[in-house]
Amino acid sequence: MILLRLISWPYARKHLVRWLLTIGGIVLGVALLVAMYTANQSVVEAFNQTVDRIAGKTQLQVSAGDSGFPEEVLERVESAPEVRAAAPVIEQVVDSGIKGQGKLLILAVDMTGDRSLRDYNLEGGDEDIIDDPLVFLAQPDSLILTREFASRNGLSSGSKLPMQTMEGPKQFTVRGILRSGGMTSAFGGNLAIMDIYAAQKVFGMGRRFDRIDIGLKEGVTLEQAQASLRKVVGPGFEVEQPSSRGQHFESLMGVYTTTMNVASLFALFIGMFIIYNSFAIAVTQRRAEIGILRALGATRGQIRALFLGESAIAGLAGSAVGIVFGLLMARTMAANANSMMDSVFGLSSNADRVLVQPWLLVTAAVVGVSTSMIAAFLPARNAARVDPVKALQKGRYQVLSAGENRRRRAAALGAIAIAAGCLLFGKSNVAFYSGYSLAMLAMLLLTPALSLYLSRLLRGPLKLLRPVEGALAADSLIQSPRRTSATVAALMLSLALVVGLGGLARASYTEIRGWLDSTFNPDLFVSTSETVSARTFHFPDNMLDGLRRIPGVAEVQPVRIARVSLRGSPIMLVAIDPASIARRTRGQRVTAGDFDEMYRAAEEQKGLIISDNLAELQKLKMGDVLEIPAPAGVLRLPVAGILQDYSNQLGTIFVDRAVYRRLWKDDSVDIFRIYLAHGAVAADVKTRILERFTQERRLFVLFNKELRDWVMKITDQWFGMTYVQLFVAVLVAILGIVNTLTVSIADRRRELGVLRAVGGLRNQIRHTIWMEAVAIGVIGLILGVAAGAVNLFYNVDLSRRSFAGIRLDYMFPYGIVLLLVPVILGAAFASALFPAESAVRSSLVEALEYE
Amino acid sequence: MILLKDVAKSFDGKRKVTALEGIDLHVARGEMLSLVGPSGSGKSTLLNLIGGLDRPSAGEIRIDGRALASLSDDDLTRLRRDKIGFIFQFFNLLPSLNCLENVALPLHLKGMPKKKTAERARELLDLVQLGHRLDHLPDELSGGERQRVAIARALAFYPPILLADEPTGNLDSHTGAEILNLIRDLHGRLGATVLIVTHDSGVAQSCPRMVTLRDGRIEGDVRR
Repeated sequence: MILLRLISWPYARKHLVRWLLTIGGIVLGVALLVAMYTANQSVVEAFNQTVDRIAGKTQLQVSAGDSGFPEEVLERVESAPEVRAAAPVIEQVVDSGIKGQGKLLILAVDMTGDRSLRDYNLEGGDEDIIDDPLVFLAQPDSLILTREFASRNGLSSGSKLPMQTMEGPKQFTVRGILRSGGMTSAFGGNLAIMDIYAAQKVFGMGRRFDRIDIGLKEGVTLEQAQASLRKVVGPGFEVEQPSSRGQHFESLMGVYTTTMNVASLFALFIGMFIIYNSFAIAVTQRRAEIGILRALGATRGQIRALFLGESAIAGLAGSAVGIVFGLLMARTMAANANSMMDSVFGLSSNADRVLVQPWLLVTAAVVGVSTSMIAAFLPARNAARVDPVKALQKGRYQVLSAGENRRRRAAALGAIAIAAGCLLFGKSNVAFYSGYSLAMLAMLLLTPALSLYLSRLLRGPLKLLRPVEGALAADSLIQSPRRTSATVAALMLSLALVVGLGGLARASYTEIRGWLDSTFNPDLFVSTSETVSARTFHFPDNMLDGLRRIPGVAEVQPVRIARVSLRGSPIMLVAIDPASIARRTRGQRVTAGDFDEMYRAAEEQKGLIISDNLAELQKLKMGDVLEIPAPAGVLRLPVAGILQDYSNQLGTIFVDRAVYRRLWKDDSVDIFRIYLAHGAVAADVKTRILERFTQERRLFVLFNKELRDWVMKITDQWFGMTYVQLFVAVLVAILGIVNTLTVSIADRRRELGVLRAVGGLRNQIRHTIWMEAVAIGVIGLILGVAAGAVNLFYNVDLSRRSFAGIRLDYMFPYGIVLLLVPVILGAAFASALFPAESAVRSSLVEALEYE
Repeated sequence: MILLKDVAKSFDGKRKVTALEGIDLHVARGEMLSLVGPSGSGKSTLLNLIGGLDRPSAGEIRIDGRALASLSDDDLTRLRRDKIGFIFQFFNLLPSLNCLENVALPLHLKGMPKKKTAERARELLDLVQLGHRLDHLPDELSGGERQRVAIARALAFYPPILLADEPTGNLDSHTGAEILNLIRDLHGRLGATVLIVTHDSGVAQSCPRMVTLRDGRIEGDVRR
């Protein structure tokens, strides 16, 4: 400890800015880790709490995906001998209509039976509304609010609350306020109770329920009841405990958390490299000091412990700051996670507070400290091996021995050979990930040799630019390959990430644009929500005729979208009119099968069309028979064709609407795709549609461009990471090059002193250092782009294997690379400004002293 | 005290360089000798070998009867810490530590308690007449004062052997003479065995014994 105070602290204080930048990588990694887990747990906990609070005394729940099921199922459930109470429920999340209050969870119940499962403890208002369920029915605009929501919004019994319904905006009357406690804390208090039959009208559900909550008779076990109810309702239903919804929610969150895990790991890895680089440079800079300590009697172990102690402190400091940032970021990330779960899976949790878990904070600190110490291990070992005699001599010290270079090259060739073998002969994920890791390791091992080679190659052009300064700059790189290669390696890895992400982005944008052109080509979309993703409300089937009669409309295609479970995975089921869709979307990219035949098979109800990513994720091929349980039977059809489709991350199935209506007993519609007649003006047709329908129902009419812009905006958000990574690359470049140049100048003090003594101007000294920095930037760019090309190759395969099964083409991101050139070279130049100034301002006499 | 038997040292580089060859030397306890010779004769290399900073390519070195070759790196380090004090030409003080802290450094490395360390460091600085400069940093001192701090540090454990590599090489003649007097005075008082590497004939002749090196070999060994 005393050595840390005497030796380490003065050094850290002198280079405070550099230390801050160094621990920045740990800060970022730990912050992402803490934010991600905290957000994840907060969202899951909020969801579980909502489920738990609302469930009340419910022991089992019957449901059939998000499409619901006909009312008749209730009678079947009630007839089961194990059932004591069966209460139908509609549960939907809507906009509260109050600024700043966000979403409102509507729990629509039938008061006749619901009080046997849930407690309604009114503190004020019309008690009759609870005591006599018929009062609720007679006043279908009734709402019961929680004390929490009412207090926040100044509402009381008798207040009016506007809400969007399928018939347009309507005013609802608050007829009761629930006392705090029990279910009032569900959904952050944003809970409203209404009559279930009124809700069916509000949400356009016809004669359907979302689920049935069940209380069992005394002495009946859960297993008995489940088995009995499953027989009663048939295979298209789920009969589960309320808690299973929470488990299901948590497993779906896994898709989101995997992505954030990867981002956090990358940040920690970059942080490791930055710390390794900083400590490697620090050991070189402090070798005289280490030599003195060794001469005075410090053992190798003491030197090693000193540097590891410094890295532990850096890790602890980085973790502490990272934890604070992470907790601050968690709320935003929780909101993002919630939004993602809502739009992708239709599950909302309204996490209004961040759940801070002590174990996570301790884990984050351990991760930060361990990462830092692992990164500093090699430099600490090298510090312990400093030869005190050489360290106390003034002059050059650092040479990469020829033997060491040969060993690295041999190891690199070995890694390349194994990676090639994995690529050619390995099919499993283990082979893939091993090959990927070895390929990147090989690039790292070859960095010193390639840096040296490129430095020699650059000597000519540098000399051409400026004979003396250029030669000195190149010679500095050639004679100190170890110093340069650490910085180049960090820069190379960082740029490889940028190029990899950039390539994925380019390919994804191209694919998505192509998909939008071929599939999203109607002139107008009529939807129940502004973004077509929310499916709280549904249109009735009979709107189809009304739309067809609008002047200017040539064709209307109804679409129903539901979430169903296939082999335990939630996928999207899209019910369409195959013949009309096929006529209009001939440009769709077919992965397997014939375009006309697949749509004919679908129309004839003899086959299904599936998306390419579903086929990839679930290992499906042409002819495979899929079985999907539905409320009125089992959908059992073979795969008739596979198409490129990006509607859903976990996959999509397209069926004929008749099949869906028959098996799900549901003829509602989510979206109408409208093609205009020749010469019709889209804005005019939109006006006509709104005039015709807005008085009687809620709807949105979107132009094709609006929808495309929304899809591209989501894609932009996803690939915004590319620009974050570019920023990290610039930071790595600046830090690495500043560090390298600082040591270079320290090593070359005498050389630069001699240059000035024989007549070298300050500007000439500056030029040599600037050129050295830019040369490092050039070498880093060349190797980074090469490594990026390899990284992109593996990333494309990774997207197919791990992230939503999307098959992308290899598309090198020339645009991103062209942007990288001025950015990285500019950063390199900027990095050199301060070191160059310190070199020209140092004492000439001191620089020239020698033994 | 110090015994060298047929010691040689070569350095491998682009070409093999022999710095020392066939060195036989015996230094008795309490002796004071100078190692002289032209630049490149191997003086500093010999001193580094005796001090355990480096290992010979051939031959045997014994300090107080212990063969250095048989010692592990840690044992050699402990030997250097406890039994050998080094004084360098360029002082090699740590610039961020004050005089007291620089002198106390070897004591901290051994794990001595803080209170005892501070006491001993003060005592040593008093010994070299710098008790009034405890809180000063090296760059606030003159060359002579810096060398005196370095000498105080070298005496941290009152080592039986003091090795000085050109101790006056970076000082003016007046200050150099003062330093030499100090070293002689300490030799007399503490009875340490002192070896001084120098190319200054005045310094060399002030020592009772003078060993001359040339081209890596002992050319002469004169006792006065």
